[in-house]
Amino acid sequence: MEQLMTDLKRQIIEALNLKHLKPEDIGDDQPLFVDGLGLDSIDALELIVLLQQHYNIKLANPQDGPQIFKSVKSIAEFIKANQPA
Amino acid sequence: MAMYIKGMGCISPQKTWDDSPLLSQPFLNEGDKLTCYEPDYAKYIEPKVLRRMSRIIKMGVTAGMMALKQAGLDVPNGIITGTAYGCLDDTGIFLNKMIENSEQALNPTPFIQSTHNTIGSQIALLLQCQGYNQTYTQGAFSFENALLDARLELTDFPSQSLLVGAVDEITAVSHAILRRFDIYRDDINNLNLFTANQNGTLHGEGAAYFVLSGFRAPTDRVCLEAIKMVYNPTYDDLRDEILSFLNRNGLGADDIDFILVGKSGDKKRDVNTELISTSYFASSSVGVFKHLSGEYPTASAFALWLSAKIMAENHIPDVVVVRNEYRPMKRLLILNSYFGRHHSLILLREC
Repeated sequence: MEQLMTDLKRQIIEALNLKHLKPEDIGDDQPLFVDGLGLDSIDALELIVLLQQHYNIKLANPQDGPQIFKSVKSIAEFIKANQPA
Repeated sequence: MAMYIKGMGCISPQKTWDDSPLLSQPFLNEGDKLTCYEPDYAKYIEPKVLRRMSRIIKMGVTAGMMALKQAGLDVPNGIITGTAYGCLDDTGIFLNKMIENSEQALNPTPFIQSTHNTIGSQIALLLQCQGYNQTYTQGAFSFENALLDARLELTDFPSQSLLVGAVDEITAVSHAILRRFDIYRDDINNLNLFTANQNGTLHGEGAAYFVLSGFRAPTDRVCLEAIKMVYNPTYDDLRDEILSFLNRNGLGADDIDFILVGKSGDKKRDVNTELISTSYFASSSVGVFKHLSGEYPTASAFALWLSAKIMAENHIPDVVVVRNEYRPMKRLLILNSYFGRHHSLILLREC
């Protein structure tokens, strides 16, 4: 889980071009949107693509997005629960 | 209908955005292209917004911000942009991702930013400008069409202030493709572009924006009086078009104090512009600029920026001058030529 969260942080920084951040600057439970990292709706789309490209996971129900993309930890938990065998 | 220049911003292969004297230290470059000398964009655009922008968007938005700042304007009434190739880099990224990902899971950012009108839209979004917003993509006449549209707008609403400009970028892919046409020279020192007497030129890029209004203020120095485009003319056609253009504005060739010629250093394609500038403007000062900007479809925007600076300062930098008659700068003509095919005329007057 720890390794997955570190990988995710690195992938998020690269995909969203957050050059001013290092993986260790992003807290596991830190909110990604609005008050936290300040991500927006286009970033949400980039995160959906990231899940598909790196983990082969498609978001079946977009309504679940806000809960899944709440933090790095919530994304990692979603990946763990949904990663193809 | 005269358009008064209220502010300008330019990012080019030269130092055109800082406070240094105009082209006092031109950059020397060996190669077949001239890429922009870029500012620290974080000084002009919020880092949060900046992270998503490609280079051409940063160049365009920043040049626009510089022009607005100089004009002392927060939000213009409209934004008009000319670009021949648009946001090429993002287009390339998007198309490559389509292939790599088998048309699945495409990243939204390069897709959103691959359209020609991204630059004008980004400026509008940043400024919350909900006014008129148009992008012209007429190849090497894109900037001229943007100016014509501005003129139409200002004829109807002269008190408006419009942000008008042009942007084009060099990308690795575009340069590789254009090179196949055998239009660029290898390893030429840009400052020797006009003395080498060879075919081919230098690839260039740049962004320039202007705040234009139909309303004259006491502080205005330069106004844009007329624009004309001439496509693929013979020598006789081009000569007649220039003389009739001047005649329509109540002028003869002798009334032009300075002519800035947009020849590219390509001896084959420069023949007509060379002959006209020497035969018909024998009493005018003459200058050139494409050894400073390179050749690209919207280089006339760089020429307008340079001309307006020269006119406002009443001084032609040494690196621009071909012949100096030391005439007071009252009327200035830009004669641009894009590979000997697209010719444009822009007439400037001192206010």
